[in-house]
Amino acid sequence: MSRVLIVEDEDHLAAGLKLNLEAEGYDAEVEEDGQVAFDRLVASGGLFDAVLLDVMLPGLDGFEVVRRLRAAGQFVPVMLLTARSERDDVLRGFEAGADDYLPKPFDLSILLVRLQGLLRRHTWLRGTYQEDEGPDQFAFAGKLLDFRAQVLRWDGAEQPLTLMEATLLRYLVRREGQAVARKALLEEVWGVREDTDTRTVDNFIARLRRYLEAEPSHPRHLLTVRGVGYRFLAEPDEQ
Amino acid sequence: MDRSGGTRRRAVVLVWLLGAGLIAVAVALNISFIVVNWRAGLLLLVGVVSFVVLIGGLALNTAFLVREIRKSEQHDAFIHAVTHELKTPLASIKLYLQTLQQRELDSARRGELIDTMLEDSERLQQTIDQILLAGKTGDARRVDNPTDVDVAEVVGECVHLAGKRHHLTNGEVSLVDRLPCGTRVLGDRDELVAAVTNLVDNAIKYSGDRVKVVVEVASAGARRVAISVRDQGIGITSVELKRVFRRFYRLPDALQSRVRGTGVGLSIVRAVARRHGGRAYAESRGAGQGSTFTLELPLKT
Repeated sequence: MSRVLIVEDEDHLAAGLKLNLEAEGYDAEVEEDGQVAFDRLVASGGLFDAVLLDVMLPGLDGFEVVRRLRAAGQFVPVMLLTARSERDDVLRGFEAGADDYLPKPFDLSILLVRLQGLLRRHTWLRGTYQEDEGPDQFAFAGKLLDFRAQVLRWDGAEQPLTLMEATLLRYLVRREGQAVARKALLEEVWGVREDTDTRTVDNFIARLRRYLEAEPSHPRHLLTVRGVGYRFLAEPDEQ
Repeated sequence: MDRSGGTRRRAVVLVWLLGAGLIAVAVALNISFIVVNWRAGLLLLVGVVSFVVLIGGLALNTAFLVREIRKSEQHDAFIHAVTHELKTPLASIKLYLQTLQQRELDSARRGELIDTMLEDSERLQQTIDQILLAGKTGDARRVDNPTDVDVAEVVGECVHLAGKRHHLTNGEVSLVDRLPCGTRVLGDRDELVAAVTNLVDNAIKYSGDRVKVVVEVASAGARRVAISVRDQGIGITSVELKRVFRRFYRLPDALQSRVRGTGVGLSIVRAVARRHGGRAYAESRGAGQGSTFTLELPLKT
């Protein structure tokens, strides 16, 4: 299920959009303030698959939201929805880094197919490791991993995961107990074929250990397999 | 908007500089003319008079140009605001209609959607009425066919409707009536309703989350009645107190916080006041201190 953030301060429009996106099977949420929406998108890092963004917003206007998102390295697909449809406004929207632009009043069917197009492209660009049939959640050692929501939960706390972190964890969890080579991770998770520096993987593992392990320097779940790569263990033997 | 705003500011500076430069040249020529023709009598007089006319013309021309540029700037902002005010409810209505057309919804949900559309069409109508009224009151000087209007009754109706429209029913907007029963003014009821409604709507809009609006009707001297609307909202700086009544003028703070509006509301209030032989003014202790808007009308004699 794709997650879409609707950033719109006109509550009627926001409610109408939410209703339609949910009817299409999307998970839709609404923010009314540009600054709040920006902070949320940055903090959740890849939680949303697309953003419908109004231009005239309190806090921070839509052009500025998308410009800052791109500057912060967030490349979530953004569609601007706005009553301002003059040539200069459209150009400004795309210059700021928007992926699509739809003037109000818009046609519902057109909006939905364009959004679908954005999401499809996003999926293609996400790389090779997308066809995954397994369950979306995995519980171990008092923690709950949600690959779809890209979040790790425990004792009421939660740690959002980036897309790459979630994908890497899912790959290891699906092969629980097996040693997985660094090169395989690079190829399957990152979709990298060339001889890339395998330290990329090591950096990610180090970060994930800080989330998963009680003592990151003495890992019990994310184990290093000397000379090969890594292995995930849900229930390590108590010794 | 920001881009053309930038070129406009440059244009204003350019016009000022050009005007000042030309005036300086004219003044210098004038002085040298006086020095050269010091003893020429009549010639000197004729020369000085023509120079003064020339300099005056230049100064007027410069001031006029700058004013026109400012006006067109405000006009652009108005077009933007009206575009937004018209297209937003229209977009909402279209979205809801297409939703009803394309989806199977239970009857309760359908009812909700229809209510939303009715609110949106109400908003559209208000914007259109407001613009038409601004055009109408902008032309003529006096009310066309004046009738007797009961002040307290009209104000009471405006307060009641505004409360309903903004979903404020817990006394956030209250009416204090200090008029002798049946106090009347001679005028156009619809225009007076529009003027008072504008004041009450503004008070609510610029109050943010904590709405506390008191509308008071009282005598002002022996021959006038004052309708005053007091809020605890964002307030107005002393520089802005007069400007807010200008057509298309909007507070910079209001634009920042995206308070809806087209910038014609208070110009309508002022025009209606004048058409009734009265006046409208604002008072405020400054930004964040709330404000009071008063509409004074002559009593029916």
